[in-house]
Amino acid sequence: MGKDECKTMLDALNKVTACYRHLVIALGSTSDSQNLREELKKTRKKAQELAVANRTKLTSLLKDKSISKEDRAEYERLWVLFSSSMELLEVDMKRSLEIGQDFPIKVPTRHFIQTGMTGSTTTVAARAMSVQNMKYEADSNIDTVDLRELQSEITQVTQMMEEMEMKVQVAPWAVEAKQEAGAELKSNMSVGNSSVGVISICEEEPKEEEGGGSRDSGIASVCAVFVFVVILASAGILGYLVVNMS
Amino acid sequence: MTIRRARPDRLQHFRPRMHCLKKLEAVVVEMQSGVKGSEQKLNVTTIPHVITGKDVIAWITNKMKSTTEESEAFGTMLVAYGYIYPLQNHRKLVMCNDSSLYRFQTPYFWPTQKWVAEDSDYAIYLAKRNIRKKGLLEPYEQAHYNHLHEWLNHKWDFIVMQATEQYKAGKERRKPDRVVFDCQERAYWIVNKPPRRTHSAMDSGLELLIDPNSDEKIPFDTYRRMNLFYQQAIMSSKVKSSVSLGALNKYVATYKNHDPFLAPCLPSNPWLTDNDSYWTLNMRQVEVPTKMRVERWSFSLFELLRDLRGRDDFKVFLKKEFSGENLAFWEAAEELKWGTASSMTSKAETIFKTFLVPGAPRWINIDGRTMGLTVKGLDHPHRYVLEAAQTHVFLLMKKDTFFRYLKSPVYKEIQKKALNPEAHNFSPAQLEHNAQNRSPGIHPLILWQLAEAEKAKAAAASVPVDVKALMSKLDRMK
Repeated sequence: MGKDECKTMLDALNKVTACYRHLVIALGSTSDSQNLREELKKTRKKAQELAVANRTKLTSLLKDKSISKEDRAEYERLWVLFSSSMELLEVDMKRSLEIGQDFPIKVPTRHFIQTGMTGSTTTVAARAMSVQNMKYEADSNIDTVDLRELQSEITQVTQMMEEMEMKVQVAPWAVEAKQEAGAELKSNMSVGNSSVGVISICEEEPKEEEGGGSRDSGIASVCAVFVFVVILASAGILGYLVVNMS
Repeated sequence: MTIRRARPDRLQHFRPRMHCLKKLEAVVVEMQSGVKGSEQKLNVTTIPHVITGKDVIAWITNKMKSTTEESEAFGTMLVAYGYIYPLQNHRKLVMCNDSSLYRFQTPYFWPTQKWVAEDSDYAIYLAKRNIRKKGLLEPYEQAHYNHLHEWLNHKWDFIVMQATEQYKAGKERRKPDRVVFDCQERAYWIVNKPPRRTHSAMDSGLELLIDPNSDEKIPFDTYRRMNLFYQQAIMSSKVKSSVSLGALNKYVATYKNHDPFLAPCLPSNPWLTDNDSYWTLNMRQVEVPTKMRVERWSFSLFELLRDLRGRDDFKVFLKKEFSGENLAFWEAAEELKWGTASSMTSKAETIFKTFLVPGAPRWINIDGRTMGLTVKGLDHPHRYVLEAAQTHVFLLMKKDTFFRYLKSPVYKEIQKKALNPEAHNFSPAQLEHNAQNRSPGIHPLILWQLAEAEKAKAAAASVPVDVKALMSKLDRMK
């Protein structure tokens, strides 16, 4: 049915938007690199494809005059979700353009900001593209080339959003949310009701007075030591019995 | 979905008004090579790029050739804007000149004029924090969360979805990066939505329509007008600076104890301590005014008349002296000046009949020329027709009655009776308590009703005593 298709597509768009934001936050910092620029480009393209697909689907659903009132309310809710995602994407794209222009990769005198982040963002990008591993194939002047493309893409997105506003008459403030406050604490979140899996809540806390996350690894190491001791003891007992027998 | 583009988007909405950001960014980028970073150990993870406060301040002193105090102030501004965030004591946005640890903020979270920290972003951040802290947000965060849940309710599905997705995407990174990201985001939101008693440098004023950083091209007409202005300024008469500075000096010396910025406000400044006893003690209708207020009345007649409570006191004095007509005329002229246009002709008529006609019940004693001018003007009454007469009366009161009032027993008595409240001394816990229990104040309707009742009573009391009627009544009683 159209609704379920829409919901899965919106889920995907949501995921890509979240990953894109993580990638843009890493721009300009010490985890910036050519790979990051390429990841940004690929994520952006995927986001645009999803956006166009979502838009066509939703506009066709909303234009249909013969749907019931509950259906219409549901489609309006999906429309608000879609347009909020697009707004986030647009802002992130514009910001990535600015920061990308301010921090070119190849200029040796311009230093990246030492933010403390040194790891790569490959896994985040892989999550966005829904692949296992990312392949990097761009050449070295990706930052300048990409920025020009980015500018044209931003104008495209802005135009799309203006069109959307003009063509679709949805009052966003009239939509009622299905989630109540604190709904994010329950682990099965998605547009439909398919559970995405239980979130394992991390126990770390960025307070620098304590590093609580180490508790997990501490317990693991204690268990390992205990198992080792047990094995040693049983080996010792067996050896003693063998010696006694003979 | 926000309502976009009520005005055409010329990319000219610049808020807040912080002109220094471009220069600060250049300084921060330069600092990357200058300030040495070290590593921070957090049980198992080590996170690089940690700087100490004293290194930063030493670098700033070196580069800008300034004193240590200035470098400390500059460093504090960098922290208050959010370019550098503290690792210990994250709520206090100051740079200390010791070995306290700081880290640079990523360019996405730098303060900008173009990109305002949106409410929906804040809601997503709070939802993410809710997940991480398993529902135990700080009280101010919880308050913001509830408020945003109410106001952004139509987007709430999106916010929840986006928050869970961002949380999961964040888990894909390595452990030290995750910790750094959490610190960065928290620092960004502390700067943009500061909790109580955290002072960030973000100025959330109105939207400007002009980019403060761009250079303006001054058109020809502006130069022409500038020329005209300067030519006229050369020809205008000037006051000697010794005279004007003397007047300024006198003003400051008189008022310096009454300025709440320079002297502590008794009992306590309500804006700072959230305790409004200062306002209740200084209300319009209060029986016993405070000492500071009474002292202020002695500065000039203008201060006395401006404070309505002082005006009441002055009226009491004038009643004893049977010379209330000057003040009554002055008040009536004020009413004419500030009143509605429709009531002007009727008010002018009554004033003429009560005060200006020879033989009127409350005839004021002004000189012939002014009287002539006023009477002629009253043929075509406008708002300022009584201005000359009002000024004359004011000067009469100022030169004569005012000084008699200051020496009178009425004033001396009220000086003795005046209250001198004790200064409050709140502990931080009490300040929190005050902030939570702020009273909503008096409803304006009630204040208006009280004012109306006052006016009615005053009108009834000041009905001019008709001497002839009074004498005839006395005769009849005999």
